[in-house]
Amino acid sequence: MKAFANVHPAACMTYFLSVLSVSMFIPHPVLQAEALLGGIMFCATLQKRREALRDLGFYLPLFLMIAVTNPLFSHNGVTPLFFLNGNPVTMEAFLYGVSVAVMVIGVLLWCKAYSEIMTSDKFLYLFGKIIPKLSLVLSMALRFIPVYLRQARRVSRAQRAMGLYSGKSFTDRIRNKLRVFSAMISWSLENAMETSASMRARGYGKKGRTNFSLFRFRSSDISLLAACVFLLAVTLAGASLGITDFTYYPRVGIIRTTPDALAVYASFGVLSLLPFIMEVKEAVVWNCCKSKI
Amino acid sequence: MELLQVEDLSFRYPKSERDALYGIDLSVQSGEFIVLCGPSGCGKTTLLRLLKKELAPYGERSGQILYNGAPQDALTDAGEIGFVRQDPESQIITDKVWHELAFGLENMGVPTEVIRRRVGEMASFFGIEGWFRQRTDELSGGQKQLLNLASVMVMQPKLLILDEPTGQLDPIAAADFITTLQKLNRELGLTILLAEHRLEEVFPIADRALVLENGRVLLDDAPRMIGTRLSEFGRDHPMLRALPSAVRVWRGIGSGDPCPLTVREGRDFLERNFNSRAEELPVPEAPHDAETAVELKNVWFRYEKDSPDVLRGVSVKVYRGEIFCILGGNGAGKTTALNVIAGLDRPYRGGVLINGRHIKDYKGGALYRKNLAFLPQNPETVFVRDSVRADLAEILEAAETPKEECAPRIEKIAERLGIADLLDRHPCDLSGGEQQKSALAKVLLSEPRILLLDEPTKGIDAFAKRDLREILRKLKSDGITVIMVTHDVEFAAETADRCAFVFDGELLSVDPPQKFFAENSFYTTAANRMARGLWKNAVTCEQVIECCRAEAGKK
Repeated sequence: MKAFANVHPAACMTYFLSVLSVSMFIPHPVLQAEALLGGIMFCATLQKRREALRDLGFYLPLFLMIAVTNPLFSHNGVTPLFFLNGNPVTMEAFLYGVSVAVMVIGVLLWCKAYSEIMTSDKFLYLFGKIIPKLSLVLSMALRFIPVYLRQARRVSRAQRAMGLYSGKSFTDRIRNKLRVFSAMISWSLENAMETSASMRARGYGKKGRTNFSLFRFRSSDISLLAACVFLLAVTLAGASLGITDFTYYPRVGIIRTTPDALAVYASFGVLSLLPFIMEVKEAVVWNCCKSKI
Repeated sequence: MELLQVEDLSFRYPKSERDALYGIDLSVQSGEFIVLCGPSGCGKTTLLRLLKKELAPYGERSGQILYNGAPQDALTDAGEIGFVRQDPESQIITDKVWHELAFGLENMGVPTEVIRRRVGEMASFFGIEGWFRQRTDELSGGQKQLLNLASVMVMQPKLLILDEPTGQLDPIAAADFITTLQKLNRELGLTILLAEHRLEEVFPIADRALVLENGRVLLDDAPRMIGTRLSEFGRDHPMLRALPSAVRVWRGIGSGDPCPLTVREGRDFLERNFNSRAEELPVPEAPHDAETAVELKNVWFRYEKDSPDVLRGVSVKVYRGEIFCILGGNGAGKTTALNVIAGLDRPYRGGVLINGRHIKDYKGGALYRKNLAFLPQNPETVFVRDSVRADLAEILEAAETPKEECAPRIEKIAERLGIADLLDRHPCDLSGGEQQKSALAKVLLSEPRILLLDEPTKGIDAFAKRDLREILRKLKSDGITVIMVTHDVEFAAETADRCAFVFDGELLSVDPPQKFFAENSFYTTAANRMARGLWKNAVTCEQVIECCRAEAGKK
């Protein structure tokens, strides 16, 4: 959590988009396996052990389900393993199922990591650069929602304590919801007036508004961005040269082991393991520092 | 140097029949700390908002406002005059603390690096570092108000205007806030104009006090002189009730000594003039009949399965027809205890008996029919209609009252609580005290035998408090049991029959106020802190004055 969470949002976003696009659009077994491995390692650094175990209980059955479902319904391929109700279950279909499962689980894990790392303020910051007004509006909305919900709960409790329409019948419940809602409309308008007065009082509406953020673009972000772009470029070059083409039907293709192919695998491998490597480096540095004290 | 000058300012709201302000003259010197006081509706807020161009209300106005010797309209920098209002919640604009601090500077077009430094400087001055990256909706009321102040201060104003900033805060947060204002004034030389109705802490630190009444400046003098000069307007001017306890006692005795302002000065004054030692006032027996209205039996409560206990084995009996006050710090469990009695929260162990019957046995709203009524901390949550009258009518309709009875009953309750002229207003347009009374009228229409009040004195002034006290006494004489939770020790001392102190989820002591406060040494009224060396159990200003008079009579 610590190492990658401090990366500048722009570098962070570039990184996530690179890994996600490769793992989603280049269906090559080695690259997919690397993406999955990277995803697992990344999530492992973000989570506590208990959470990780709980997640395993979700991802493992999902994996098996996807891997098994494909050969049951798709009978393409030339190498039958056995027959089920007179239909062949082929090795090619099975391997394709496994590859899809690896891809899906990998992407899910990367999305999970994304949502942990790219918090709302980072997202807002990035989009605020493009549309400054939007980021302020979103920030205000993010404040308003919890405040609104709290007030709605207060109104609803106050009405309940007066015994008004608090019965369990359907009409009572609908009426109660409507009443609370109508009270909340006048409350929201009132609140909006106050907020706009507060904005005016602090000089909102003048020209030349700037956008402040706590994020700094540091030299480490430049290195990360450069590494990310380079590794992605190598991977994409390999893809455009057809090195990463791979087919399952009618017969499973072979995984190339030429030097250029190995270079592509290595590049994407490093790319997907970057957060984990950073985390390990951080831990090692930390331990060194500690032992010096 | 004269920072602000108001000359013959009059103002009238559109469609209003009378002026909200008449011929106000005011001059503010740079570096002054001025407190503005007066009853609700006297024009304090109107005056303050007129001083800040961006917030000025619409209406007819005459006279002029000069800032730094130039007309107010010439001022283009919104950051020059800072403004903080009462409600901590609605002034916050963004979702993160750091963003809120930066908001004003962003508007002024200040570059990022400069914002970073100024925000950092302010955050450390106000002690915000610890919650700098937190979400704004997770802060406590006191923190929110401090954030509002800091986000105004970050724009480096020359004049700070505050409109009852501590109205929604508990006493500890309020005292902290006032201390911060004092620090700003003393250490940065900031000019402060503060409207306030809790004068106990503010009076001793202000340079000047301005008393407003019906849109006119009644008095403009040093705080020490206000007590004396109010006598010019009659022996029993209502403003006297809002003054600090030391001033009230001093006035009540009618001494020739200089006016004391703080508890320390008040105690010196009393000890100089009176020398009775440790004489106790007779404590009246708490009047109650033996019948129990509400009983808690070993009540345990927590909000979630894994969360800590909020109530830890609370047992108490409240008798019929008494006013029972629950006091205690923030998060001690006061409000939770009240919610449990109101049937809004269910204890996981122990029982609640309402009129001798278990609370679980009241089914389908029977608990709230002619039995128990609850007035929440935010009275605006009681209203759901467009007018007070419609809101009041609704509760009668729900009780299936015949149509022809509705109107007279509404008139009667409105008369009784003094809200007859508010009936056709929108609940949102009422002031804090008016909202409180109207909400009380609504819950009283269900003809309760037990009335529960959560922080009824929050955000209302001394006059509204007196009204509330009179109403509660009347209810009591009708045999209604009142249970209230409050931070306001003065109000509890003057109103309650018995007080209970809650700490860490437990009920520590239950006694009549005179005994209750006499046993405490910090958690007691200002009057008691002044006089406890002489008369240990004189807790209200009236009691102290009475003791002094009796003492003087003996001589």
